[in-house]
Amino acid sequence: MPLTQDEIKTIERILGRKPTQEELAMFEAQWSEHCSYKSSKLLLMWLPTKASHVIIGPGRDAGAIEAFPGIAIVFKIESHNHPSAVDPYNGAATGIGGIVRDILTLGAKPIALLDLLYLGNPKDHHANWLIRNIVKGISDYGNRIGVPTVAGDVWFDSSYNRQPLVNVACIGLVSKQKIVNDKPEPGDCIIIAGNDTGRDGLLGSSFASRPLSSDTDKDIGAVQVGNPLMEKLIIDFLIELVEEGVIKYIKDLGGGGLTTAISEVMADHNLGAEIHLDKLHLREDLTPIEILVSESQERMLLIVNENNLDRVKAILNKYEIPYSVIGRFDKSRRLRVFFKDELVADIPAKELAKPHVIRRMYRPPIEALKGLRDITIPLPRDMQQAFEMVLSSPNVASKRWIYEQYDYEVGIRTVIKPGQGDAAVLRLLDGTKRGIAIKGDANPRYTYLDPFRGAANSVAECFRNLVAVGSEPLAIVDELNAGNPEKPTHFWYFARMVKGIAWMCDELSIPVVGGKVSFYNENEYGQQVKPVATIVGVGKLVNIEKAKSMDFKEPGSYIVVVGITYPELGGSEYLHTVHGIDEGEIPIPRPVAELKCAKLLQKLMKHEALLSAHDVSVGGLATSIAEMSVQGMLGVDVDLSKAPIRTISRLDELMFSESQARYILEIHEGKLNLVLKETQDLGIEVGVLGKVVDNGKIIFRYLGKTIIDMDLQHVHEVYTKSLDKLMR
Amino acid sequence: MMYSIEVLITNRKNVRDPEGETIHKNLVLKHGYKNIVNVRAGKYLLFSVEAQNAENALELVKNLCLKLRIYNPIVHDIEVRLHD
Amino acid sequence: MTKIAVLKFPGTNCDLDVVHVLKTTTNLDAEVIWYQDFRARKFDAVVIPGGFSYGDWLRAGAIAAQTKAMGEIRVAIDMGLPVLGICNGFQILVEATLLPGALLSNECGYFVCKWVRLRVRRPRGPWLILLEEGQEIDMPIAHGKGRYYIDEDTYMKIASTSPTIEYVNENPNGSSFNLAGLASPNGLVLGLMPHPERSAEEELTPRGKIPGGIYIWKSIELSLKRGW
Repeated sequence: MPLTQDEIKTIERILGRKPTQEELAMFEAQWSEHCSYKSSKLLLMWLPTKASHVIIGPGRDAGAIEAFPGIAIVFKIESHNHPSAVDPYNGAATGIGGIVRDILTLGAKPIALLDLLYLGNPKDHHANWLIRNIVKGISDYGNRIGVPTVAGDVWFDSSYNRQPLVNVACIGLVSKQKIVNDKPEPGDCIIIAGNDTGRDGLLGSSFASRPLSSDTDKDIGAVQVGNPLMEKLIIDFLIELVEEGVIKYIKDLGGGGLTTAISEVMADHNLGAEIHLDKLHLREDLTPIEILVSESQERMLLIVNENNLDRVKAILNKYEIPYSVIGRFDKSRRLRVFFKDELVADIPAKELAKPHVIRRMYRPPIEALKGLRDITIPLPRDMQQAFEMVLSSPNVASKRWIYEQYDYEVGIRTVIKPGQGDAAVLRLLDGTKRGIAIKGDANPRYTYLDPFRGAANSVAECFRNLVAVGSEPLAIVDELNAGNPEKPTHFWYFARMVKGIAWMCDELSIPVVGGKVSFYNENEYGQQVKPVATIVGVGKLVNIEKAKSMDFKEPGSYIVVVGITYPELGGSEYLHTVHGIDEGEIPIPRPVAELKCAKLLQKLMKHEALLSAHDVSVGGLATSIAEMSVQGMLGVDVDLSKAPIRTISRLDELMFSESQARYILEIHEGKLNLVLKETQDLGIEVGVLGKVVDNGKIIFRYLGKTIIDMDLQHVHEVYTKSLDKLMR
Repeated sequence: MMYSIEVLITNRKNVRDPEGETIHKNLVLKHGYKNIVNVRAGKYLLFSVEAQNAENALELVKNLCLKLRIYNPIVHDIEVRLHD
Repeated sequence: MTKIAVLKFPGTNCDLDVVHVLKTTTNLDAEVIWYQDFRARKFDAVVIPGGFSYGDWLRAGAIAAQTKAMGEIRVAIDMGLPVLGICNGFQILVEATLLPGALLSNECGYFVCKWVRLRVRRPRGPWLILLEEGQEIDMPIAHGKGRYYIDEDTYMKIASTSPTIEYVNENPNGSSFNLAGLASPNGLVLGLMPHPERSAEEELTPRGKIPGGIYIWKSIELSLKRGW
């Protein structure tokens, strides 16, 4: 985004003179929305970021929590929406590259990736092409760098037909004392290691800070191609260096290139620096401006004490990674940039790195009333057909087509694999039985209809998923994807989503250790896509052998629903798929109930009373039961009228309502009484719906009548193959 | 008449080509071929086309490759030629 | 102390996984050796693990197969050292013509990650000694270029002389004759696409599956102690 007149005046004031071309380019790259969060900083301060186990909160390239004594989990989320719209394969691939490098900056070993994709309708030709290539890009890059993609979230909606949202998250592991976070000091050397710098990706950050043009040729400068081989070498080399403790500080060269990376370090630590651009290893002849703002991929900035320089160079040489020593830090607090002995930029670092914030206005659009309406719909005559429609809907059906393209086992940590449970469970592989659970969640329909509640519900859903596999939720990161912040009716969604996340995190006592914002997700007509609050959460498990998957395991065991079902069909998958309506009041967030239910599950797991657990979310109660049945290939016979309800008067409300704070549990036959007692003690309502039966059927009854009687094999077919059919 | 039309797809000039770079650096140069200055990698497709004449065949294939996104014009260059 | 070299090329990913499995399920010592540092005479066996050496550029395993390290692998084989190639390791062995055939892109055109059932035929040699003829085991695959190609004549020869591992029930990539892996006639050099290091521990094995990898690791442990 080109600088405004006001911004240029400010720059002149800061420098006390007219800026050089190089200085202007640096300010433009740094101050563009993507890098500096001009519009969002104020609101993001709503988020709770502190807890005793938070080691590093928002502000660094990644956040870190102490999951177990001495063991840190580093994680972060990032978006690559605009590049993926133009070049889905490389856009998604370089998104993976970038997020992994962010994790590396703290010296952590990347051990898992998540992909959170908000894609168009597979039946639309262009959207289908985007979907295919986004998944292939993530697959080709993630697989090559040897980091397993273990979980994710996928949503299909026509508003993303041309503007997909590609959010990626990475989790890293490092021992607390090895976290790379030493204060850089005057005299420290600045090394750039990795790919040579080229003309690719000039002003990529600026590209992400404006709506996509209809003239795609104009967008070409901002598309980069990743080199996963270089990324893998960087991972290997950094892990070796971190082990030896010879590196002080690491930064990734991402948005804003060299300019952003150096100025951020300088501003954070009150330092100055002298940089010689001609020392940087280049792919081709570049002007100083191009060198300063190029966003060539797979480059890291390393800060090394002079005494360790030789050792660092030796390891770089072993892995055959190109590098250059381009300068040093000093006390001047100014960033002085030389090109062949000519001074081309001289800027006070603090001013460059921390510009003023803009207070954006917001107000709800008329469209927001959709989230307040009461919906009247006819009861489907054929409930079985309606049920099958929901199960085969791309938002519900198995995502096997996607996750089987990802190597989810490399690293041999993945205990609960994609499709098996509510979250991925990874063992630490440190000789103990300890592990972590990871999940990502969002619901564009919810955040579109009611951004506050919708975002709060996404936090709750992530929380439930972590609890269901047996982990204790520890922290989240969030990615907010919204429209044009200069338009008050778009910015309203962003503001409400932030507040929704902040509220639910406060209620659940979950800190937010990092996050990102992606604005300008709108088409050339200025219409925003459905805004999304993507939540990625991490939990800890003391014993991964006790982790719970969702597949039914034992014929004869009881199927129990925990939590109350209210008639909350607004924004539900059922309403969308069967009735074609995307309106209504979405389910009310229920933090108190969420905490109570989590306590219950934790207690029951301690007593070893649970065989399987699955939370209830998209598609409602009926869908959750069917999913557990299909995963375990064991049938069920349940009476839905046994479910605890409040004012439910229709069968579809019971089956498909997406009320929050509910789980389906498979309870061993002999443990039912124990379970009932615990639920009573905690004051939670439950219903014993029926049993797991090895009869090859899914049978639902209601008030004495059999309303669903389906062949399990058929349901399995429908559930697992629906997405395949749309994509192949 | 049947025409054989070759399609060569490579990355555009200012877009990285890690495959070509790796083959050049880790294979060709490592084995001492210092006078090989650069290597580009790409994809080769051969279309057998029923058409009135060669121009029509070339035109058809060119349009098809664009329409079906056999190459992505954002990042790829395409060369379409008659195979003899 | 018996020592196994686990070779690492630029882009190799599964080296640490193999070392972990060897160290926790056997009493063998194993070490990751950077390809430029590998010398056959220092070791008792070699594993070439999975991953994407050189990014799979040109062809999977093609660039690694031309390195000096492969010369050392040939020395190792001449010395009678057992050599195991897993996934990319198998691709490297095939590109280096140390095993016959070729590995091409999966027929379905996608990378596939899932558990498959395998059957072992004519098991013999250091890596397969604990398996029985026709034994069925499970292992996960994770590859985009696992379609094994071999012509009929060569296959006929192999089918009468060498150990092979075949996919059962389902051929996930279109391999000729359902081959997931094969060995030299004496079983000294074994290559396979599925991952034995991912199927050696119960806690990683999905319910209802038989962890097949453990047989390979226990076999080499036994063989290095007792001979084969």
